[in-house]
Amino acid sequence: MTTRLLPLELIDKAIGSQIWILMRGSKEIVGTLRGFDDYVNLVLDEAIEYSPDPHNVNKYIKTELHTEILLNGNQIAVLVPGGAGPSPENVSAA
Amino acid sequence: MSKLAAPAAAKASSTLPKKESILELSKLQDQLVRVKCIGGRELLGILRGYDELVNLVLDECDEFLRDESHQVTDQKRRLGLVVIRGTQVSVVAPNDGVEEIANPFVAAAEDDE
Repeated sequence: MTTRLLPLELIDKAIGSQIWILMRGSKEIVGTLRGFDDYVNLVLDEAIEYSPDPHNVNKYIKTELHTEILLNGNQIAVLVPGGAGPSPENVSAA
Repeated sequence: MSKLAAPAAAKASSTLPKKESILELSKLQDQLVRVKCIGGRELLGILRGYDELVNLVLDECDEFLRDESHQVTDQKRRLGLVVIRGTQVSVVAPNDGVEEIANPFVAAAEDDE
């Protein structure tokens, strides 16, 4: 398959659906992508924040934000369109 | 209408054609690549696309998990089709260009004293 997929096109296709974001450190965010800009700042709806659990490596503490957020693109490392977030067995509620 | 000064023709002598990167990702298209991010994340996946800012599209992507001391292990988790932000990329390497060797910095026991 030599047709090259453009990264920003893939993000554009994800608008309206769920997206999983891996930040530069260990933080992760899941939400519905409403839009983005040239810097890949994101507007996410019904965002859920997964913060690293300080006591357990590879485990997360989940915080449901129940709101629309602007996520600064500065620290965004990986975007997973349609992604659901870290596997539930690794997640505990705040 | 004021005339803007034309940009100096004296561009750096190492001028590349406008869209070219020094890294030829076209060579790695559809190959398994290992990407290291500046925060420490390491990912492995099939390169499906990229742009001039080195944003990448990786298919069947796995992320390598890290242990307590943030060292990368062989444990992986599947992510799937992902976009990696070019601003966070530090290394892109073909997976089969990489070979693990014994740690040259660990002195064999009898070498000391």
